[in-house]
Amino acid sequence: MYQGPNFFHSIRIQPPEKEIYARLGFRKGITELNPAERDAINRTIEDAAGLVSIKGAARVMGLRSVGENGVTLEDETVLPSRALAVMLAGSSGVLLMGATAGPDVMEAIASCSMGDLTRAVILDAVASEMTDAALSWIMDYVGQDLLRSARRLTRKRFSAGYGDFSLENQWDIYTLLSLGSIGITMTPTCVLIPEKSVTAVAGVLSLT
Amino acid sequence: MNTRQKILNRIRRKVLILDGATGTELQALGMPHGMSPELYSITNRDATLSVHRGYLDAGSDIIYTCTFGANRYKLAQYGITDVHDVNRRLAGFAREAAGRKGLVAGDMGPTGRFVEPFGDLGFEDAVACYKEQALALLEGGVDLFVIETMIDIQETRAALIAVKEVADVFTIVTMTFDRTGRTLNGTDPVSALTTLQSLGADVVGCNCSAGPAEMVPLIALMKPHARVPLAAKPNAGLPRLRDGKTSFEMGPLEFGGFAPAFVEAGANLLGGCCGTTAEHIRALKEECSTLRPKPASAAPGSALSSHARTVVLSREAPLTIIGERINPTGKKDLQEELRSGMFSLVGYYAREQVKKGASILDVNVGMPGIDEKSILRQAMQKLVLNSDAPLCIDTSRIDALEAALRIYPGRALINSISGEEDTIEERLRLAAFYGSMFILLPITGRSLPKTALERRKIIRDVFRAARAHGFTKEDLIVDALTMAVSADGQAALETIKTIGWCSYAFGSHTVVGLSNVSFGLPERKWINSSFLAMAMASGLSCAIANPESIELMNIKHAGDVLTGRDKDAAGFIGYVSRQPHQALLVTGSEKPESMGERLAKAILNGDRDSVPALVDGAIGDGMKARVLVDEVMIPAIEKVGELYEKKTYFLPQLIASAEAMKSGFERLEPLLAEEGNSSSIKGRIILATVKGDIHDIGKNIVGLMLKNHGFEVIDLGKDVPHERILGAVREYEPDIVGLSALMTTTMVNMEEIIHLLQESGITCGVMVGGAVVTGDFAEAIGASYARDGVDAVRVAQGLVEKRRI
Repeated sequence: MYQGPNFFHSIRIQPPEKEIYARLGFRKGITELNPAERDAINRTIEDAAGLVSIKGAARVMGLRSVGENGVTLEDETVLPSRALAVMLAGSSGVLLMGATAGPDVMEAIASCSMGDLTRAVILDAVASEMTDAALSWIMDYVGQDLLRSARRLTRKRFSAGYGDFSLENQWDIYTLLSLGSIGITMTPTCVLIPEKSVTAVAGVLSLT
Repeated sequence: MNTRQKILNRIRRKVLILDGATGTELQALGMPHGMSPELYSITNRDATLSVHRGYLDAGSDIIYTCTFGANRYKLAQYGITDVHDVNRRLAGFAREAAGRKGLVAGDMGPTGRFVEPFGDLGFEDAVACYKEQALALLEGGVDLFVIETMIDIQETRAALIAVKEVADVFTIVTMTFDRTGRTLNGTDPVSALTTLQSLGADVVGCNCSAGPAEMVPLIALMKPHARVPLAAKPNAGLPRLRDGKTSFEMGPLEFGGFAPAFVEAGANLLGGCCGTTAEHIRALKEECSTLRPKPASAAPGSALSSHARTVVLSREAPLTIIGERINPTGKKDLQEELRSGMFSLVGYYAREQVKKGASILDVNVGMPGIDEKSILRQAMQKLVLNSDAPLCIDTSRIDALEAALRIYPGRALINSISGEEDTIEERLRLAAFYGSMFILLPITGRSLPKTALERRKIIRDVFRAARAHGFTKEDLIVDALTMAVSADGQAALETIKTIGWCSYAFGSHTVVGLSNVSFGLPERKWINSSFLAMAMASGLSCAIANPESIELMNIKHAGDVLTGRDKDAAGFIGYVSRQPHQALLVTGSEKPESMGERLAKAILNGDRDSVPALVDGAIGDGMKARVLVDEVMIPAIEKVGELYEKKTYFLPQLIASAEAMKSGFERLEPLLAEEGNSSSIKGRIILATVKGDIHDIGKNIVGLMLKNHGFEVIDLGKDVPHERILGAVREYEPDIVGLSALMTTTMVNMEEIIHLLQESGITCGVMVGGAVVTGDFAEAIGASYARDGVDAVRVAQGLVEKRRI
């Protein structure tokens, strides 16, 4: 499966409330929030979820080699990162994945950034967490399919920009996933647009 | 006796045993990783027969053909185009292996695409895909079908409809639920069951997902709602890493040991999915040899579903509100939208009605000058994406009704089927094919039956016709017919009598279109609410009404308590506690002593809307603007900063307070100027997100916080070129330049800007921040580091003080 990228044009997930609150700095047992404030925040989260329109892409590729300082994919693409190589140790392949929250929520954030920043920061947190949750969704989806051929995914995933896996690697991932097909573009500085767009790599393990 | 009856008879007597995994078994026999199992099976006939025979020998009553991925979309991924040949031949292998020893189920799995409205694959394309596969499997000799490992309820419906349109064959449908208890697309087990059993699945259940321990509760959830037998086919637990090797955790004996729990939960058919072998199935068979399955068909049938929610109607449950607002009658804006093919108001009405308490949404787009079939279909798709409330399809047109029923990913309610000779048979046929519930409208001719007695006769007649299509009284809701009391003083009483008769004699659920009763009268809400209370006392099940009417919803919740349909008044208490006045009681418990104190409290509470009036009040009480700022507002916002640093407040509260403060400042600005305080700024700062970076929400927060603490902020925006920053520094001569970056690729620009400033002989302070920026990085490039908005104020104050020494 997934010889080319597989696109998901409408990933339906609920806003992960716990993660959204945590991202906004909520600490259970410490942060004090009265019912009216919580209601107002939850309503904004609901509104934000209505503006988020998640699309994603996934591609399973074989691994040619896993070295000490990086990995080489079946098409000779090299991803130079010691940390990534450690995560992919024992993997026979990789899952490349990308997801975006879409442009509508970004427009909403921009339009209320000056007049209603409180709403903007909540929208921003919802979009971030839903995009991240979309990667988990893609991993669940692909993982379930891999199980039928006695394979599974590593529990962790790794994104360009973390540790020694430099952000420039996003070029290769962007190209291999054809992220332009789901409306994502990339700037020369490797920033994905819409802003709430992410990519990641996970390992494919063979069951024995 | 046909195959369906034979299978059902066997299910009544014993637990039927399905087979185990095919993919992982073929892998064990040498299938390379990443190869199409269907292609491997065709080219390795002996291996395929050996897997099938292994399961039959172990005790499987039903084996699945190795055609899980043999649909046109999946096969195309491996360059295979002859779908018919693959399915026919693989069905033949299974038939050959089974002989008369077992039954063969033609296996159909997901296409790997999502079906509209959840994805880009057209519904009819999906149906055509599964029809193609089903026809070939039948030709290959399968006895029944299994649609399995589905995560998209719409795709599952497409497959089941395809089978129904190909042949009348026994069909098992199982979906895959993740650790949250829903499919990846958000469908819960009860909604899946409600939708699929009403659409004609002979067995519903779960497969794959996780291990048996996680699947038993899913079967237990389904059982109280199941009118069909249930199937469970779990994995052999979860894959685990042991001694450097990853394998499924559960051995045959442990796996088989879950059989009693499954049977107790309500499963009638058991098998295995990924990681299970013939030995797992043998263990299951042995455990089941002494177990008696629970019978199916005990569950009540009055349930409607969407893709993600089920609404069950029962005598004991609270009154169900069917939201009436998605109807263009009398709504010019909605009419205009529908005419231009827009649906934003449809989505808005859906969300608002559900928020206010509607459990089901009535959808009516009928009006002159539109293609109702097309518009209704589009509106349904929009609604499915906007709400998980089940839908009530309200149209008089048969073609529009069929189009809507076909693409609705749930069990819909048809509004309505009457005794009209011209339409009753066609409408009942559609309702039966798509498994819908329907509202029975007791009308036969042009004149409306005035009395309850006349209505009773029509209700019996329509039900008799419906029974011929397989309907029971649980599949319908009788409309008791609401007429205007302004035209007939007895009208409401006749409706109440009809409700009472249906509830206590005929034995059906009832509905009324509430607002008709008050037509032509003033202050209609009181007539409507009183009528609702009377109808509820007579046993009314549902009301088509506007849930945004506070009076109506108050009566509904109170009525639920008084008619014994709200256990411990829990629903009523929850409803009351959610009302706005309760929230005010919580937040406004103390009366402030002065305008100044109230203003401070408003800033602390982030109550931006109240601040301008409170500022005016304080000024009216004689306070000077500067005193108000220095002695009331600044201390309040500093307190907010403290609470934020202690994490008593989190970001939304911090920002809300900062915005409240800002609105106060804006109000005071002219007065401060009049008092001659305009020059009392704490410092001037230029803010920018550096070149190549488009993230600016953090910078905006910093700007807001600094303004509130008396800084003059010149915000250059995001993706700002170095030269523009340098130019602004020369123009404004700030005390500080604040730079933000979120990416590793753009944070290097901070260092370049600092060099440029130094080369130009500019000595202002530089403060940096952003997700990837650290204190060490800041120090290395010669800048000060601000962790967040509150920290930025402190750092900026320090930098300004340093410059002034």
